[in-house]
Amino acid sequence: MYKADLRAIRFTLYEHLKVQRLFELETYAHLSREECDAIIDQCFRFATEVTGPLNASGDRTGCRLADGRVSTPPGFKEAWKKLFELGLMSFTIPVKAGGFGGPHAIGVILAELQSGANTAFNMYPGLTHGAADLLEHCALPEDQQRFLPPMLDGRFAGTMCLTEPHAGSDVGATRTRARHLEGNVYALSGTKCFISSGDHDLSENIVHLVLARIEGAPAGTKGLSLFIVPKIWVNEDGSLGAPNDVATASIEHKLGIKASATAVLNFGENGRCRGILVGGRPHEGMRQMFRMMNGARIAVGVQGIAVASAAYLNALAYARERLQGSSVRHFKDPTAPRVPIIEHADIRRMLLEMKAKVEGMRTLAVKLALHADLAAALAATDEGQAAYHEGQVDLLTPVVKAYCADQAFRICEMAIQIYGGAGYVQDHPVEQYLRDAKIFSIYEGTNHIQALDLVARKLQSRGGENLTAFLKEIGGFVAEHGARPGLAAEVRALGEAAAALQRAAGALLEFFMGGKLDQVTMVANAFLEIVAEVTIAHLLLEAAVVAGAGHGAADDEHGQEEFDFARGKAMAAKHFVNYVLPGVHTKVSAITGGDRSALDIPDGGFSTAR
Amino acid sequence: MKILVAIKQVPDTATQVKIGADPRAIDTAGITWIVSPYDEFAVEEALRVKEKRGQGEVVAVSLGPDRVKEALRSCLAMGCDRAIHLNDPAWNGADTLATAKALAAVIKQEAPQLVLSGRQAIDDDMGAVTAQLAELLGWPCAYWIMEEAIDADGKTVRAARQMEGGVEVFDLPLPAILAAQKGLNEPRYPTLKGIMGAKKKEIRDVKAADLGLAAEPAQLSIVGLEAPPPRPPGRVIQGDVPTAVKELVRALREDAKAI
Repeated sequence: MYKADLRAIRFTLYEHLKVQRLFELETYAHLSREECDAIIDQCFRFATEVTGPLNASGDRTGCRLADGRVSTPPGFKEAWKKLFELGLMSFTIPVKAGGFGGPHAIGVILAELQSGANTAFNMYPGLTHGAADLLEHCALPEDQQRFLPPMLDGRFAGTMCLTEPHAGSDVGATRTRARHLEGNVYALSGTKCFISSGDHDLSENIVHLVLARIEGAPAGTKGLSLFIVPKIWVNEDGSLGAPNDVATASIEHKLGIKASATAVLNFGENGRCRGILVGGRPHEGMRQMFRMMNGARIAVGVQGIAVASAAYLNALAYARERLQGSSVRHFKDPTAPRVPIIEHADIRRMLLEMKAKVEGMRTLAVKLALHADLAAALAATDEGQAAYHEGQVDLLTPVVKAYCADQAFRICEMAIQIYGGAGYVQDHPVEQYLRDAKIFSIYEGTNHIQALDLVARKLQSRGGENLTAFLKEIGGFVAEHGARPGLAAEVRALGEAAAALQRAAGALLEFFMGGKLDQVTMVANAFLEIVAEVTIAHLLLEAAVVAGAGHGAADDEHGQEEFDFARGKAMAAKHFVNYVLPGVHTKVSAITGGDRSALDIPDGGFSTAR
Repeated sequence: MKILVAIKQVPDTATQVKIGADPRAIDTAGITWIVSPYDEFAVEEALRVKEKRGQGEVVAVSLGPDRVKEALRSCLAMGCDRAIHLNDPAWNGADTLATAKALAAVIKQEAPQLVLSGRQAIDDDMGAVTAQLAELLGWPCAYWIMEEAIDADGKTVRAARQMEGGVEVFDLPLPAILAAQKGLNEPRYPTLKGIMGAKKKEIRDVKAADLGLAAEPAQLSIVGLEAPPPRPPGRVIQGDVPTAVKELVRALREDAKAI
């Protein structure tokens, strides 16, 4: 059963990160905390009552392709209809485009609840939302008018079509071609693969956003353009025309997210596929697609948080119920009463690591979204502040995507470990969580692509200002709380880890200057983990400080729950700092020490086996 | 047609209820409050009547402390047009009769043609207010309703409820009161549009004095609350099959008196 901790979520939103300050800014003044809470409640209800119950059944049934059409598992159509009736997918879409203009900081939580209840189902509306957001930013007004309203009310779905058989991480190798017909209309031909939601039976039509090369355009990513390619042609008045020569060649049989159709699509097999150039601007495809990709990267990180949280809360409930073994205090007495496994230290250790990571990652994702909201809200009034927030979004996006994706899998693995054999079988949800979570580190730019984006692009943009500002914030926290009773040692450990991070960044710069690009790429993933773990340690300690300040002692009859909550925050921070954060120093010394083992080993040195 | 829906705010069904420091009340710390599920059926039905007739007004009413506004807001988000909050310390500790008197006074002011409520609130399961209200108003009332249809000119309502082995059907002249049972409909989720629109709708605070009522002592008082005794653990009958079956039959017959 899907579980979420709304108390912890509200703490992160309102007590820790204080997203309610957004409602004082003009951009979000039409909203209030009360409404956002009501929307979160309804979203949670939708997740537990509608999509959650379809998670396991969707996994068992999967999608089917027959006569060129994909059918989704039973119940998906009804859930799709209800989701769009509710209006949840329009929450962060601007009011002028027909949405509710809500902040992404709340949107992240809505996405978590939806993905946590049913990751595979949420792929369909998630991609539709991302495609609509791109069109809202980049498409010509007449094309927005033609495609946006039906994408916001669920009549049309959306996809992003980048990958080709020989162009995955290497998107510049795209071969799909576009030939000019008239105006902004082009004839498209080519094959795209691994297209999530590439075909399905949930909506009347599907709007594919396709990267292709206009004839004569330069090679590489600079020559790519983006096209709106509806499955069924849409006339200028919005009515549906003829099928647009988009064929579903096959769907994949996958490890997880089985209820999400992953399609191979052939465009223009019969020479009759038409696409509309987005914004009427050729060779701008990558820049435009990055609008959707950045959103999708954050969304994948949130998928990781969502599944990890569901795995954690299920494992916690199981650990409270499952009787096995006696207390270690009575280890000599075979007749001692059996205890719930949550009493065993090894189980507590795993649960606390899961709690710390889940809550830390969620805080990081909400903070990233809050930066994005503040950047948008301050753009008109305070250029300097807006640029700062924009820079933090740039810096943290690859971190959220890659770290949350990796840790989701590891947290699911720990959840299975807590269940023992019961977790390895399908009677409990955690084995599906593990299978579903694996894709997060692969799609939407593999985690290595994220790490390269961080070290090669994000660290160096704005003259390195993003990292400086980020470290300054941590430095301020350490200075303020370095003597805090109960947390002083941990706060100082954070300061040391942040200093180590700075040394690693310096070493990376030296590798760049010395032309050792192979070494940069070899340690890029480790560097991303360092940034993530320093950030999360900071946020967990900050949460512990905030929670401790609010409810310090169990001094009245209602205080126990609040007291436990605050202690939980403090212990999560301590555990993370004492067991996870020290890994930062190991990684930093490997980087600064200049180890080249993975580069220096000859290919034949891996094994002589063939 | 004007329809009034009487709702109650109750702890979420998933709440692990704890007895408070005062053993006559539950500990309300950390409780999530919701509209009582049977009352949601009543709200949904009222909205459907309005939609079917193409006109009318649906007014949600509730009695309780400030937090009850949240429940009323959620009724407005579902589509009710406005709300009345009976919010006065004079009603602290109101029993079912005092609640019914307050509602009756509001109904006299509002003069709706139909009043809907749930068949009971899921907190204390008394199920008394609606019947007392009908008695005070002298209006016809039907409980456990699973179907209703109002005639075209809005003079009578036909309401049906399930009985063992059949359906019992009533014709009630309007104005009348119906108490909803599960199965009457499937309540809609408040949409984002509804939630955003709810803040523009009116929730009117009403005090006892506004209704010409004075505080009166409750006729019903809670002496104390006790948690139900914990269930005894299950029993595993050991031994080979013939002996175990004999023991099982004996235990069912003599200990449990189930057969």
